[in-house]
Amino acid sequence: MPLLDIKNLTLEIETANGWVKALDKINLSMEANEVRALVGESGSGKSLVVKSIVGAINEGWQLTADRMNWRGQDLLGLNQSKRRNVVKDEIAVIFQNPVSSLDPTASLGEQLEETIPDFLIGRGWFWQRRQRRKQLVTRQLQKVGIKNHDLCLKSFPHQIPDDICQKFMIAMALVSEPKLLIADDPTRGMETTTKGQILKLLARLNQTKGLSILFVSHDLLAISSMAQTMTVLYCGQTVEAGRLKKLRKRPLHPYTKALLDSAPSFSKDLLPKSDLSALPGTIPTLQHLPTGCRLGPRCPRAQKECVKIPSMRRIHEHHYSCHFPLHRPIR
Amino acid sequence: MTYYLLRRLNLLIFTLLVLCLASFYLAFLFPGDELTNLSGVRFSTESERLQSFEYYQFDQGAFLQFIRYLELLWQGEWGISFASNEPLLQEISTFLPASIELSAYALILSLLIGIPLGFIAGLNHNKLTDYTIFSVSLLGYSVPVFWLALLFIIVFALQLGWFPISGRLSLLYDIPHQTGFIILDILRSDLADKGEAIKDAMLHMLLPTLSISIVTSTIILRITRRSVIEVMSQEYIKAAYTRGLNHSQVIFRHGIRNAILPIMPQLALQFTTLLTNAMIVETIFSWPGIGNWLIQAIYQGDYPAIRAGMLAVAGLVVIFTVSIDIMHKLIDPKRLNRQRVKI
Ligand SMILES: Nc1ncnc2c1ncn2[C@@H]1O[C@H](COP(=O)(O)OP(=O)(O)O)[C@@H](O)[C@H]1O
Ligand code: SF4
Ligand SMILES: [Mg+2]
Repeated sequence: MPLLDIKNLTLEIETANGWVKALDKINLSMEANEVRALVGESGSGKSLVVKSIVGAINEGWQLTADRMNWRGQDLLGLNQSKRRNVVKDEIAVIFQNPVSSLDPTASLGEQLEETIPDFLIGRGWFWQRRQRRKQLVTRQLQKVGIKNHDLCLKSFPHQIPDDICQKFMIAMALVSEPKLLIADDPTRGMETTTKGQILKLLARLNQTKGLSILFVSHDLLAISSMAQTMTVLYCGQTVEAGRLKKLRKRPLHPYTKALLDSAPSFSKDLLPKSDLSALPGTIPTLQHLPTGCRLGPRCPRAQKECVKIPSMRRIHEHHYSCHFPLHRPIR
Repeated sequence: MTYYLLRRLNLLIFTLLVLCLASFYLAFLFPGDELTNLSGVRFSTESERLQSFEYYQFDQGAFLQFIRYLELLWQGEWGISFASNEPLLQEISTFLPASIELSAYALILSLLIGIPLGFIAGLNHNKLTDYTIFSVSLLGYSVPVFWLALLFIIVFALQLGWFPISGRLSLLYDIPHQTGFIILDILRSDLADKGEAIKDAMLHMLLPTLSISIVTSTIILRITRRSVIEVMSQEYIKAAYTRGLNHSQVIFRHGIRNAILPIMPQLALQFTTLLTNAMIVETIFSWPGIGNWLIQAIYQGDYPAIRAGMLAVAGLVVIFTVSIDIMHKLIDPKRLNRQRVKI
């Protein structure tokens, strides 16, 4: 049984031009112990997928799906707060831009302490519990490699450097000993050494603790060092998913190919909002979504049929949604 | 920071100077003799006038006249009142505290009403509760203060008889003037039955306080509501939910502080609006405050009093505004924690 199983997740949000499907039939599943990369250009809806899973979307947005299960338990039909209750100790999330997901007026120590679930504190007098809380907090920071923990705990979010903040977010996410960690762009804008530290930390957690990680990133180099599987997103649609090795060797979707071609040796970090060198044009905004396959206007293989949404097809564990995939010649 | 403080102080001093200049100029604008308007003395003999003429340095140029005026203001010689022949500064220091007291209580009351309601509305944004509170607040906002005061008198004082119609304290009590703040003065007096006196003072205070609080409460409600809506849509609030905090934990630990901190100066500044409204309401409730006193001065053509009263009220407002501004800068947590730490 997969940990997380999402089928045809659709998120409609209200814009100036009316309701649009910011996410259109997203499929995503996570097995225990798996590291899955969620890849896509900036603006392709990766963060929205993350927010939908953990129930942090704006009130009033419409979230629908054919299936949304967490360890076999149906999350659909629950409202946001119930859904959060089900997953709060088992799914941890690090949002993109960690500083903005911390209260600017509370010290890091306060914010870390309040995330410790009660069952980890145990019973006792309040001073014993406080003692225990302090210990847990310190140990948590040591685990992620923050050495000067006293200073860190006393500081406020905007006082600490970005890489420490990212490590702190990981520490905070791991407090409740989750089964799944969702990290939204955890290495964005970091220099190579700190990036390496973060990646190593995540990889170690995966190996020693069996933590599943949904690794959201543009950074193909980081992804190739971490992930076993990959889901490629374009403009709110899942275009291809499968084992990373397979996808790299033989992408079936034109978009995946373009993505890989723009970083041939997997060595270049895709710059946010940069054009993919292999495709003309840029990712459309929500106000100007093409009908059918959203890659249509940019796709070298597009045909008339592409105005209809291609359904998800499967070859073994390799999923793709394209009318004219690369392994079939065009008529 | 030092630069900021200097700039603020500079602004304060400059504004006060302009106010002084305006009040000095008033003496020339008012009908009658300038010297009389400045000093408050009606000269019966030419030699008296000449003496004053020299005292105010009227034999010198206009600039030196103004300098002399400032000097006298600084020394506390604000002239005397036509009506009472008392020194004006002393008069003002008996009447102004009554107005400040009224505004201060009204501010506290408005905060107590406005902030919780603002929170309730903001937290239920776009729901029926929000619409209801917001529409009622619109009503409160558009009611003229003096009309409300009259309505209160008619209903609660005349018809129901729950509260006294006017004044600050029943004539039964004779409280010596010390600070000018009635509750303090009662506590410091050697009255036998202080509790009863305080209760009586409170009863007198309630209607005027309430009538100026209503408008300010609605203003505070709106400011708070806006801030709460803004804060509750922030990323860190959503993130706090995903960390397993429940609704009330999120609100009490992260919502309240973040919503209140940025609007504190705005809230404190309502004091100046209150002071203006208090001055209107005083005349209706015969509250012995500066507004009432100024109206009397206008009726009686007491030009020195108008000049001095205007200067005192405007000066108070300016000093208060700048102090709040500086205080907010000093205690702003964002500023205090701006320096980066090295970990
Ligand atoms: N709060 C929001 N309101 C309106 N549109 C949004 C909001 N958040 C994201 N979007 C839109 O949804 C799309 C996907 O955004 P996002 O998930 O942040 O992309 P990514 O994380 O892949 O860069 C973008 O076009 C963005 O403009
Ligand atoms: S469905 Fe058509 S437009 Fe979309 S990727 Fe495939 S070929 Fe291109
Ligand atoms: Mg993103």
